[in-house]
Amino acid sequence: MTSARPSAALQPPADTRRAGRIRPETVSTAAIFALTIILIFASRFVSPALGSWDQVDTIITLASFLIVVAFGQGLVILVGGLDLSIASMITLGGVLSTTWNGSIGSEWVLIPAVLIICACIGALNGVGVIWLNIPPFIMTMASGIIVASAALGYTSGTPRGAAPDVFLALMKGSVGGVSAVLIFVLVFVLLAWTLQSATAFGRRLYAVGANREAAWIAGVATWRPIMAAYALSAACAGFAGMMLVGYANGATLRMGDSYLLPSVASVVIGGSSILGGRGSFAGTVGGAMLLTTLGTVISALGMQEGWRTVIEGAIIVGALLLLREDLLARLRSAR
Amino acid sequence: MSANLDAMRGSAPGSNVAVAIRRVLTDGAGVVAILYVILFALYALWDRSALSVSGVTDLSNNAAPLAIAAAGESLVVISKGFDLSVSGVVSLSNVLMATYPIEGPHGALISLLICLGVGGAIGVLNGLLVAILRLQSIAATLGTMIMGQGLALVIMDAPGGTVADWVSNTLTDVIFGVIPISGLIVLAVVALWFVFRRTDACIGIFAVGADETAASLSGISVVRARFTAFVGAGLLYGLAGFMLSVQTATGNPTAGTPFLMLTFAAVALGGVSLTGGRGSLVGAVIGAATLMLLQKVLFSGGVSSFYTGIFQGFVLVLAIVFGSFISRLASTGARA
Repeated sequence: MTSARPSAALQPPADTRRAGRIRPETVSTAAIFALTIILIFASRFVSPALGSWDQVDTIITLASFLIVVAFGQGLVILVGGLDLSIASMITLGGVLSTTWNGSIGSEWVLIPAVLIICACIGALNGVGVIWLNIPPFIMTMASGIIVASAALGYTSGTPRGAAPDVFLALMKGSVGGVSAVLIFVLVFVLLAWTLQSATAFGRRLYAVGANREAAWIAGVATWRPIMAAYALSAACAGFAGMMLVGYANGATLRMGDSYLLPSVASVVIGGSSILGGRGSFAGTVGGAMLLTTLGTVISALGMQEGWRTVIEGAIIVGALLLLREDLLARLRSAR
Repeated sequence: MSANLDAMRGSAPGSNVAVAIRRVLTDGAGVVAILYVILFALYALWDRSALSVSGVTDLSNNAAPLAIAAAGESLVVISKGFDLSVSGVVSLSNVLMATYPIEGPHGALISLLICLGVGGAIGVLNGLLVAILRLQSIAATLGTMIMGQGLALVIMDAPGGTVADWVSNTLTDVIFGVIPISGLIVLAVVALWFVFRRTDACIGIFAVGADETAASLSGISVVRARFTAFVGAGLLYGLAGFMLSVQTATGNPTAGTPFLMLTFAAVALGGVSLTGGRGSLVGAVIGAATLMLLQKVLFSGGVSSFYTGIFQGFVLVLAIVFGSFISRLASTGARA
């Protein structure tokens, strides 16, 4: 059919908003999961022990901490922030749950108490960002070092005590032949994804992250979702700290350090915009799985710890470059 | 001082003294300089040795690395960006100097060039990512910071090594019996700033930081201004790493980590606006000196790192709240 007819030129362009358009996030999420699976199979060449079902199970166990932490980090990034206090909050969760274990009543009092303390400190981050107008990365960096120092002072350098039994069971136990962590990860991912992508609360997070003024004009009390994102992020980090304590049966003061940068990397690799307002938790889970798989391959290769850090940095920069806003826009207009 | 165009325009004829006082009080560098003098006077009252040559040399040696790093950070912050790569560059140059010590004055020069090379290279990379490829500065420099720290760990996986004796002995000393060399190096950086401030490149950095669109419409190359800021900052971080190694005389792959927080505290304390376009390198340098002095006053007894961490965190938040208060004063002063 020729488009030279004058009437065709007058017609409005076809509505392509829905039909036949796959969201870029879906593409990148699928690509990341595919890459992870390829990497798992390819890791057989490195060592025959890798790539088996047991190995997949181990990877999911190792990734579970990162998935929980990265959910919180993702929420903060979604509202246009960045949470650099995560490492300290993981340590705080671990230290408090072991030190207080057995001394403040049952575990069902202990665990919520620790989570509430973490969430309150996270909410303080929100206060600094919203009302004192402190750039998010500086505010969370400051609260991070304060919490880390407080944990150091509180334990006088050597954390004591054992992990709560619930977390020992969660990290080491199994239900009907399936490891408990695997079930937990599935439930957590489902709940977290629902919260972020299918509730009114989640939509407010997106609205605030995409355009704070517009969200405010549209009637969103913008401070609430921002505050909630920081509080949830800190609570998730605290929870991950308790999981780590269950896994290693004891806390150390530096246990959170190796999760801060991967949490940012997972979110960025997962296709979320570092400027906020765009991204999905599914992508973040893929990013966390990919990073963890890469980590096990790197340690199987016997590479130095330093190289792993270098690669993590390069992955963040690479992902940022691949997901540049204008690049996405160009792709979208080409389609 | 702060190249604050608004304030200059605001200083219409009137009482010259009142205008001058207001300018000092609303200029970040002025306020923090007054703060430093008060703090130093208190310190000297309490500990007389602060006024001796060795006391002053000590303060100067302590403050020099942070002052130079904060000077670099102020360039990027003025251009409306954040540069986290400082801790990576400082760690990397420190580790290089402790792993490959080169003796003698020539050795010092070669080490200095290596440090500047490392800083410059990471600065160019940051400039490429942020100015040319237009990535968000926090995220991009977070990536380069991690790479720098990782490389430092690859070169040296645990604290150790020794910096060349000539470097660590001579450069921490005094010349003419009274002037600490580290202080002279900081002064040289400040002198360079006063030259640089008059160039088009620096005016471009201020203009881009204040309003990118307006700057670009008036013919300033936004890309070149941002790129210059990041490369200049990288070079200064390299120098800061050199000065840190001179002072500590040993290598540590995480030596740069505390710099990240302290440089931002120093920049904010020195009245550099974190939203860009306003401030001065001198303010950041004095801010850094104030932070180190404050730390010395409070912890000269050798208190555990437990308190230093808590102190640094609170000072960072307070410095920013204080800094934004000052810049609000400055903008109302300009309007009056």
